[in-house]
Amino acid sequence: MSAQPAALQPAGRRQNRLPMRLASWLDFGRRLVRRPEGLVGVVIILLFAVLAIAPSLFVGPLETVTKATGARLEPPSWAHLLGTDNLGRDVLNLTVHGARISMLIGFLATLVTVVIGALLGIVSGFVGGSTDTVIMRVTDFFLVLPTFVLALILAPIVLEIIGSGEIVGMRTTLFVIVLVIGITSWATTARIIRSQTLSVKERAFVDRARVIGAGRWHTMRVHILPNVTGLIVANAVLVFAGAILTETTLAFIGLGDPFAPSWGQILGASQDAGAPGLGAWWWYVAPGVCIVLVVLAFTLIGGALDDLLNPKARGRR
Amino acid sequence: MTTDAATDATPDAVPGAMPGAIPGATHTRTLPKLADPDAPLLVVEGLTTYFTLDSGTVRAVDGVSFTLEQGQALGIAGESGCGKTTTALSIVQILPSNAKIVSGSVKLMGIDLVPKSENALRRYRWREISIVFQGAMNALNPVQRVRDQIAEPIEERMGASSAAARKRAGELLELVGIPRARGSAYPHELSGGMRQRAMIAMALACDPAIVIGDEPTTALDVMVQAQILELLEDLRHKLGLSLILITHDLSVIAETCDRVMIMYAGRVAEEGPVAEVFERPRHPYTQRLLAAFPNIHADRRTLEVIPGSPPDLRDPPPGCRFAPRCAFAMDVCSVEVPPEVTFGRVRVACHLYPADGSIAPEVRAAIAGAESPDVIGVDA
Amino acid sequence: MTAPFAPVTPAAAHASDGDGPATLVELSDLKVHFPVYGSVIDMLRRRPAGFVRAVDGIDLTLVRGEVLALVGESGSGKTTTGRVIVKLTRQTGGRIVFEGKDVSGLWSQNELRAYRRRIQLIFQDPYETLDPKQTIYDFVAEPLVVNRIDSGEGRRARVISAIEDAGLRPASDFMNRFPHELSGGQRQRVVIAGALVMDPDVIVADEPVSMLDVSIRTELLRLMLDLRRERGLTYLFITHDLSLAWVIADRIAVMYLGKIMEIGPAEAVIRSPRNPYTKALVSVAPSPDPPDAGTRAQRTILEGETPDAAHVPTGCRFHPRCPVAFDRCKAEEPPLFDLGGGQAAACWLVEPGQLPVVDPPGTAAATTTTPVTDAVS
Repeated sequence: MSAQPAALQPAGRRQNRLPMRLASWLDFGRRLVRRPEGLVGVVIILLFAVLAIAPSLFVGPLETVTKATGARLEPPSWAHLLGTDNLGRDVLNLTVHGARISMLIGFLATLVTVVIGALLGIVSGFVGGSTDTVIMRVTDFFLVLPTFVLALILAPIVLEIIGSGEIVGMRTTLFVIVLVIGITSWATTARIIRSQTLSVKERAFVDRARVIGAGRWHTMRVHILPNVTGLIVANAVLVFAGAILTETTLAFIGLGDPFAPSWGQILGASQDAGAPGLGAWWWYVAPGVCIVLVVLAFTLIGGALDDLLNPKARGRR
Repeated sequence: MTTDAATDATPDAVPGAMPGAIPGATHTRTLPKLADPDAPLLVVEGLTTYFTLDSGTVRAVDGVSFTLEQGQALGIAGESGCGKTTTALSIVQILPSNAKIVSGSVKLMGIDLVPKSENALRRYRWREISIVFQGAMNALNPVQRVRDQIAEPIEERMGASSAAARKRAGELLELVGIPRARGSAYPHELSGGMRQRAMIAMALACDPAIVIGDEPTTALDVMVQAQILELLEDLRHKLGLSLILITHDLSVIAETCDRVMIMYAGRVAEEGPVAEVFERPRHPYTQRLLAAFPNIHADRRTLEVIPGSPPDLRDPPPGCRFAPRCAFAMDVCSVEVPPEVTFGRVRVACHLYPADGSIAPEVRAAIAGAESPDVIGVDA
Repeated sequence: MTAPFAPVTPAAAHASDGDGPATLVELSDLKVHFPVYGSVIDMLRRRPAGFVRAVDGIDLTLVRGEVLALVGESGSGKTTTGRVIVKLTRQTGGRIVFEGKDVSGLWSQNELRAYRRRIQLIFQDPYETLDPKQTIYDFVAEPLVVNRIDSGEGRRARVISAIEDAGLRPASDFMNRFPHELSGGQRQRVVIAGALVMDPDVIVADEPVSMLDVSIRTELLRLMLDLRRERGLTYLFITHDLSLAWVIADRIAVMYLGKIMEIGPAEAVIRSPRNPYTKALVSVAPSPDPPDAGTRAQRTILEGETPDAAHVPTGCRFHPRCPVAFDRCKAEEPPLFDLGGGQAAACWLVEPGQLPVVDPPGTAAATTTTPVTDAVS
């Protein structure tokens, strides 16, 4: 193909296709931000994403017990915009670094959830029959598992097995949290995707794929998946929000990692130290507000996506 | 305005048979107040409706006029996008939120409906004019019995008691050929044809003067279609009903309507009595359209091909909108909108028939008789 | 007892001579029965409460180069027949023979690969047949991808050639677009291109133009007829529109409730139908004739609707609605009787040896013959 001189090559399929697909994603993005809730959500997420990618750029390295910069429990001042915690660490510093941890956990947990959920949902819905029945019963089982109880049970066991330290590039505790969230969330995703798969399966182009001799895997990959991607994304957005909340709660009840403080962990620590009673509101308000903002942003985006994906958008196309 | 409100809120008090009722029709109907008994039943003049989209303004209906007399059946024909459905929806003003009647009038018995408020319009919708939408048979409420669905508008709009409404619903069902016993069925228990009959019964619930049918038989088998058309014909005579039938299928119009109006790209191309228009089509589009329909009773087994496609109504061509596809287009066609000219009972909007008669009759005859070379089919 | 009949060989102009046997596809006693289960338990135990007899024993031959129209109303089984021929639906009984070879038992992907290259299907709805997420190129190339035909430049050339043969020129203008950017007529051309790309011999077209506007319809039909000439294609044209079949078909087969009621050269079936169902269909076929033409005066509008295929009447399945049914019709099902000239009809009234057909007074459902009244205007 590349042996042909450029002049003789027909209007390249390769050259044109990428911009075409990219163009349709860009168009989608444009339509998303045209809605006020979509715009607000995207802006907030971008803001936090930037903070999460390079926290040190904004507030310097993560402060630890030995590297605390301020006095204990100082209220907000020009030196420490959000005050300090009971170890003298700058709360702003902690919060910004916490963004990275929380977002990372949220992202990984969502990845696990969505990959497992979508895969099982598509296979179950498309293949049907006994495969569907078996997968759905397994899904039912996981649907009713209580997240926190499972976390509380699994965490020490996994930690015992793997030992503390690092695994796949992150701290074990965080790994456990990602695992737990993933295990308890994929079932809902699977059900949703399976539902959509069932309806896509009935469409004529799937029939056509059969007529030309396409096998099941080809059809699932080429026809079902692209047509449920919209729903997967919309679902993933909400899973992300849920993951952050779940992680927050887990950290709050003590499953966090004090060396990699997420917002939940900061909240938990402040609670343990009795911050509300001591009047050190700056310690817990900052991470709390961040959590609310991020979850709100995802929920807004989820709502906007729902509107966009709904083909009956009235009036304006 | 207050008089309007008073009229529209209270039931009518002016009884009497409709003017010009079909002789032999035993049906009488009360007129709304403000109705002009001497005016024709429905007069649409210069109706113009535009849609607003992100990508531009669609000039869906651009200056459409016609008259419907009591007891007549008018067929509005054309392909998709010609504006026929929008015209119908504009008459009863059930338009989507991004559509607006920009100008023109719709006079029902002399009362102009266009400036009326939504509240005022309610008086006329379903009671004077009702409409059977396209695919309506799939719009029945699946969890309500058919008879109850028909009784609902009777109860609400006519202020009848439940019992009286149910009784009337039963009568209507029989009128459209559904045995009374089947009235207690749910929609999914009825066949497509039965459901369409039920929709017709519903449209007749409040005893309207005009029924508009938008593609009433399109999704039905040909035998069921014949049954429904026969039913409509029957009802027309029994109830003195006036019909507006919207369809792309000229054959349906040939079988059921008195007059036909051919629309193209939002404008009227030709309008007149069915027999005349179909036997001697004057507008080039009418000629091509007729020839594009297969005729099982004709000897020639060919279909004429109309090249090109309808224009984008966001940016329609200036002058005659059919000019780009017309085999007989002249220079003036792409510049000036053709005026409507009347030949007896037929109206045509085409520069081949200028108002002052300036084109020589021989030229016209030659054009009218010209055979299109572009045909397909077994005999092609 | 059944008198087999010989199909009429179409005019030489359409036949591709010397390319193989004249009979391409032969269906023998084809049956497709779908089980109906009363409850989930029954379904698990595979005990059906009844069967929907969508196709109930038909014999059909498709001759090389012809356009055979399979005409019927909803519930007639015409779509199911088409699907069985392209092996989308499994037959319950009977045989499918392609070019002399029995293909009824072929079901694995490998075995079917060769078969699928020879027979393809065009679907009805151009808005649904195309995957909204696939580009036109990908759609047309997919059969080649799935069947591992060609690669690289060769594949691209085939795809471009198919797209252009379907009338979308230049292909580069369309290849990278998505379906929603095209009009209905263009989309249907893409569907046709997708069927052409494997260079089949037979195309089963299931209502290919019924969802298109009249003016687009004729262009698509022209395309299909041109392709027949250029590529030596054979069409099984499935439609509910008898008038359309009249214009483009060499032979017409009329189906009712899973059986063929009449078959023969189009001219014969339309002008001298011998089965009462066919006669009724022809009489109600709408035409854009001015209303007072004599031919439209008598229409046989049948009562009721086609019964559901789970409850097929005994004897001749049409007898409850037939205007001229008599005793034998209720008891025995008539076979297709050869009427000569390639025409055959399934009706006791045309059994050889019967008196010439004069409509006897009906003992079954009343005749509904409606003379057209001149409407008052």
